[in-house]
Amino acid sequence: MPFWIELIVSLFLLVGGVFVLLGSVGLARLPDFYTRLHAPTKATTLGVGCLLIGSMVLSTWSSGSLSIYEVLITIFLLITAPVSAHMLAKSGLHHRLEHAKQTGHPELIEEPLHKE
Amino acid sequence: MTLMWIPLLPLLGAVIAALTAHWGRTRCAWATAALPALALALILSLIPQLSETGSIKSTISWIPALGLNLSFRFDGLALLFSVLILGIGLLVILYARYYLSEKDSMGRFYAYLMLFMTAMLGIVLSGNLLQLWLFWELTSISSYLLISFWWHKPEARRGARLALTVTGAGGLALLAGILLLGRIAASFDLDVILQSGDLIREHRWYPAALLLILAGVFTKSAQFPFHSWLPHAMAAPTPVSAYLHSATMVKAGIFLLARLYPALAGTELWFIVVSSTGLITLLVGAYFANLKHDLKGLLAYSTISHLGLITLLFGLGTKLAAVAAVFHIINHATFKASLFMAAGIIDHECGSRDMRRINGLWKYMPYTAALAMIAASAMAGVPLLNGFLSKEMFFAETLEQEFLGSLSWMIPVLATLAGVFSVAYSVRFIHDVFFNGEPINLPKTPHEPPRYMKVPVEILVGLCLLVGILPNIVVGPLLNIASSAVLGGELPDYSLAIWHGFNLPLLMSLVAMAGGLFVYFHRAHLFRFQKQFPEWNASESFEMAMRRVQDAAGKLLDWLENGSLQRYLLLMLMLLILMLWPALTELTHLTGKRAHLPVDIPSLVAGGLLVVAGLGTVIYNRQRLIALLMLSVVGLVVSLAFARFSAPDLALTQLAVEVVTIILLMLALFFLPQKTPKESSPRRILRDICIAGLIGGIIGTICYALMTRELHSISDFFLANSKTGGGGTNVVNVILVDFRGFDTLGEITVLGIAALGIYNLLAGLRLFMPSGDSEGRQWALDRHPMILAVISQSLLPLALLVSVFIFLRGHNLPGGGFIAGLVTAVALILQYMAHGVDWMKTRLDIAYHRMIACGVLISALTGVASWLFQRPFLTSWFDHFHWPLVGEFELASAMVFDLGVYITVVGATLLILANLGQMTTSERPVTKEQD
Repeated sequence: MPFWIELIVSLFLLVGGVFVLLGSVGLARLPDFYTRLHAPTKATTLGVGCLLIGSMVLSTWSSGSLSIYEVLITIFLLITAPVSAHMLAKSGLHHRLEHAKQTGHPELIEEPLHKE
Repeated sequence: MTLMWIPLLPLLGAVIAALTAHWGRTRCAWATAALPALALALILSLIPQLSETGSIKSTISWIPALGLNLSFRFDGLALLFSVLILGIGLLVILYARYYLSEKDSMGRFYAYLMLFMTAMLGIVLSGNLLQLWLFWELTSISSYLLISFWWHKPEARRGARLALTVTGAGGLALLAGILLLGRIAASFDLDVILQSGDLIREHRWYPAALLLILAGVFTKSAQFPFHSWLPHAMAAPTPVSAYLHSATMVKAGIFLLARLYPALAGTELWFIVVSSTGLITLLVGAYFANLKHDLKGLLAYSTISHLGLITLLFGLGTKLAAVAAVFHIINHATFKASLFMAAGIIDHECGSRDMRRINGLWKYMPYTAALAMIAASAMAGVPLLNGFLSKEMFFAETLEQEFLGSLSWMIPVLATLAGVFSVAYSVRFIHDVFFNGEPINLPKTPHEPPRYMKVPVEILVGLCLLVGILPNIVVGPLLNIASSAVLGGELPDYSLAIWHGFNLPLLMSLVAMAGGLFVYFHRAHLFRFQKQFPEWNASESFEMAMRRVQDAAGKLLDWLENGSLQRYLLLMLMLLILMLWPALTELTHLTGKRAHLPVDIPSLVAGGLLVVAGLGTVIYNRQRLIALLMLSVVGLVVSLAFARFSAPDLALTQLAVEVVTIILLMLALFFLPQKTPKESSPRRILRDICIAGLIGGIIGTICYALMTRELHSISDFFLANSKTGGGGTNVVNVILVDFRGFDTLGEITVLGIAALGIYNLLAGLRLFMPSGDSEGRQWALDRHPMILAVISQSLLPLALLVSVFIFLRGHNLPGGGFIAGLVTAVALILQYMAHGVDWMKTRLDIAYHRMIACGVLISALTGVASWLFQRPFLTSWFDHFHWPLVGEFELASAMVFDLGVYITVVGATLLILANLGQMTTSERPVTKEQD
């Protein structure tokens, strides 16, 4: 394997790894549910995205043809991660979880207007 | 081939009887009778061939390696019995047409009767003992249906149950005996067994085999002490009694005795057991027949007694005795069938069978009375009737015996005593019913029955007379051919003359006549004597015993199956410990010779995660959601482990199954409280920890021991043959759809059944639906968030694309129908969750049950298709094709099979998940009654 390919792959792996690590640290350290929600979504989209690009470069080189599986996986991730984060945020609001001062937006909380 | 049609025709007759029931009673009877009549004609047409060759055989091999063949064998004995079964069967059909009332279901009756006829013909024509046994059990079952024909009467149900239990239990003993016999003779083929008589008799298993077979014979033929079922079977309609207790059911035991006579008879054990049982039955039956006031009860005990007589004759072991036994089989069948029919007529016309009430019927039905009197005289052994001839032969044979040494004189004396009783009950049948004053308080005024109801009786009584007067011409040839089949070809000299001069047997007959008359006219003393004994009802004792057994079984079941899943798990694990413990203590070396793999950090981390998640599941088990999350971690680590150790197929499957399982559990969690109260006492927790620890230790030990040893599996074969034999490079998939395709077919069938079962369980369920969570918060009003709905909808094509991709590449790369099915199911479930059931109903209106059926059917038909090419079931085919643009690709029949798997998996998964999810909506499944 030529050095430049190794370099590119390693670079993507490192960047991706850093994002994933940051995501995990954020998940542990950020003050409340809503801010914490941001960290892992960044990790999945950016971190895993970088890892996938690395993988794509590697397998394209080794198989000799363009590897597009990773593109598909990336699309899936990019579509689903925000939706799941959105759903989590929604349920957090519904449960009226405690929040730090700067994240407070009480007007977003859905009030039960009538009983179903 | 003609032979096979003989039992097959009445079987078809059963269908015809059921189908033609609405044509009216007479037409139904004619239509039903047509096929047995044809079978009888077939039998008669085989006679010339039979007299040339001795026996005819036809065989279709089924599992030759196990000695299982569909084999029919026709010889003299089979001829005799088939003629009796079909001939009397036809008369019974005619008789039943007039006996059954408008209320009784004619079609059902005839269908059962034909089924029974098939079973009997199967017994007498079987050329293979296992096949014979099968038909034997079929007679038990079909006679159960016949006896309980009037199922609204409790005594009919009880009598049928008793008969089924006794004869069925005997049938099991017979099976054991047959299996032993088959092992001794190394074949279940009747010809082989009949020829290896000496080998069998000298074998050390002979006593066991003989006693087991005799247990079957004696229960079926109502020999003492198993006779009690027969009188209770009298609760059946009289045509059934006439058929079962004259020519068929009870004669099946006698038939087997005659059939296996060349193979089993001739030893001291045979002699002692068979003849003493026969003698006791003869006496007991004859004695109790005198005590019965019920007309059919009298006939029932007399049947027992006559069966005892035949058994005794077979037990005596001389050739002449066997001939006499065969002769008496014929005679008993004719006079007993006509007597039962006459009793049925009397019952039908008087509305009662109590001999204390029916008297003096001579005045009301002289013609029937005359017929019944002739038949009863034949039963008593009056000269010029058939019963006389065989009874004389019987008396003559008892005189020849010396097996009791100086006590041998007792046998003829006891035989004469039985003769006395037999004459006494016959006289009672004649005198008490037709003379002896006027009828007392009968519900109906008796009169002659319809013309055609008497025809069967006339024919049978005519035969009694003909045989009695012209024995050599009428029955001689049949008796010869049947007896020579019993004796294996060598016939002794005998004469069927009516007059043998003044000799001892004649004297015995005269004594029996005189004694019988004496006993009858002094019967009041007999009744008084019998009154001193406590009454005993076999049917009631049987019911009591059955109830006790049921209670005991119920208690055991309540103890074992108390509805607690923890309890079942505990019992199973304890059993596992019990079974594994001894084996593991014998294992001396824990570590095998195989080198360990190097330890790396990812594996360690994954292992640690697994342990932590496993412990977490246990610790947080009362907070269900957390426990569930922990459980999913375990599943994910396992699937990572599969990926790590080069099992990508398993990893994919595990991942998909994990997702589906977690969704399933989440849906179920909705109906459960989020936290459970503390249920276990500390003692119980301690016990559970001990058992879990023990099991964990044992399983860990096994895994460790197994993994450190070289494992020689058959995987090399699959690796070598996967490409050449199955046309795929993904060995796992080729194993699933080709090598072990039959297993897969079974598995998807089970999956489908499980899904249907879950559907049915859900259908009856009404669950409490919480309107909010445990802290009183209501559910969110936004049931189907827009972002989720839109995105998941746009994801669907992509997900389906992936599942098609996984499906198509399955044969050569990781994937396949099962995984693809799960992926599709998950994608669809996402739509259900995002849009709700109502939205999905309008867009995807598929009955998932049908989908499951289609899937299983496609897979099965793929297998069947290989038959078209003269290949075994599920042989797969593949070839390579070239298509412009796409390039070289492969087509395999396994792909169609896999499609079936795919459809079944999608259907089953969605049937479970969608219906569980629908529980909260108006679309929830409902049972039919509630519709």
